Amino acid sequence: MNANNSMPEFQASTPDPNRSKALLTKATGARVWRDNRFSLWLHFLVPPVLAALAVAATFAAPPLAAVLVFSVLVLAAFSARELMTRLSLAEESRNALTAQLIQSQKLAAVGELSAGIAHEINNPIAIISQEAEWSTHLVGEAEAQCQADFADVRDSLREIRAQVDRCKNITHKLLDFARKREPVCQDVDVARLVDDMARLVDKEASYKNVSFVRNLPQDLPNLRTDAPLLRQVVLNLMTNALHAVSIGGHIVASAAYTPQTLEISISDNGCGIQPEDLDKIFNPFFTTKPPGQGTGLGLSMCHNLVEGLGGTIEVKSTVGQGTTFTIHLPR
Amino acid sequence: MSIRVLLVDDETDFIDTMVKRFGIRKMPVVAASSGKEALERVAEQEFDVVILDMRMPGMDGLETLKEIRRVSPLTEVIMLTGHASLETGMQGMNLGAYDYILKPADFDELLDKVRKAYERKQLNARVSS
Repeated sequence: MNANNSMPEFQASTPDPNRSKALLTKATGARVWRDNRFSLWLHFLVPPVLAALAVAATFAAPPLAAVLVFSVLVLAAFSARELMTRLSLAEESRNALTAQLIQSQKLAAVGELSAGIAHEINNPIAIISQEAEWSTHLVGEAEAQCQADFADVRDSLREIRAQVDRCKNITHKLLDFARKREPVCQDVDVARLVDDMARLVDKEASYKNVSFVRNLPQDLPNLRTDAPLLRQVVLNLMTNALHAVSIGGHIVASAAYTPQTLEISISDNGCGIQPEDLDKIFNPFFTTKPPGQGTGLGLSMCHNLVEGLGGTIEVKSTVGQGTTFTIHLPR
Repeated sequence: MSIRVLLVDDETDFIDTMVKRFGIRKMPVVAASSGKEALERVAEQEFDVVILDMRMPGMDGLETLKEIRRVSPLTEVIMLTGHASLETGMQGMNLGAYDYILKPADFDELLDKVRKAYERKQLNARVSS
């Protein structure tokens, strides 16, 4: 093994410049400026007006001075409050943006790292698997020659092979997870896509006595996107919802659109996600299931796929009340 | 050029009907009755769309799907499931199947999905060439 391929390639992905720009515009309030040009002008006019009123008050007769001072105070308070709201809004969206940036860079880095490790581990696993098979063969030959009982050795070898298969499964999932698939966009009837996937979940839902409601507007427009990738995401989210609800629960699949985006939401009234877990759920390997049941790659794969489609995925959850995953896709 | 479709199902009655119905729509269909046979057909010629039954004796749908995706990555696969098996469906989608359809399949729906899958294959071929 040479030094070059023993180190997994480590690259922080740079987010799409257009999207970052849009987010930045939103965060810095440039959009606010364009939308509320008039009211911002008023705010900039407030200090000179206040000064003028104050000067007028010093020269005016007492009753008029009182009125002027009063109006100065009211104006100042109103303006200060308005500006404060705007500032804190801008601060909030900036924080959100930073968090999102860190999150997606982290995911990309972990993805690359784990793919590198998976790739390296695949070779030794293949050798172990071959050796185990060879040993099984040798044991068979030895058994034929002498009369000793090799059942225990056989059992042990079988277990080794089973565990190696398990490892293989994980490494394959990992490699699959990190592989970047270029989306192939075609016209997709989103309402039908969601309904199709829901039909796959229906039967299992009825076993659990779970009601699965579709709330898909009739006039939902078609979207140019990658159909199988979107199906994968929607189906994964629905399956998660089904796992989260208890017997007799509800799942709602809904969709909505604005001129810029199309949203698909999957809500359940299941157990919910602990607040401290909320920012970890898209991390690869994060799972709350017992060991061996789920690799913790499902949601991080969804996150990757949605990002690949140029969209975002978000989660809202209240413990004991349920969870909603929403995919926003650009139109 | 018409869409080259491979239909894989172990129920011969179903295959016969489907081959006839596709024939009426001027879409010649090659049939295979097992996963193994499907892979042989795929090795012989290139298909645009494979309609693949997930529940077959011997080599099952998922294994066949994996193998088809490996040997012929551009070929799109539509899964055919008799019983709505969520786990199989999800694994299939994760393995890169284009779509699925529940049995008994509505023919027009199936035809529509085949066309969509073909459209994607054409787009994909353009992207990768």
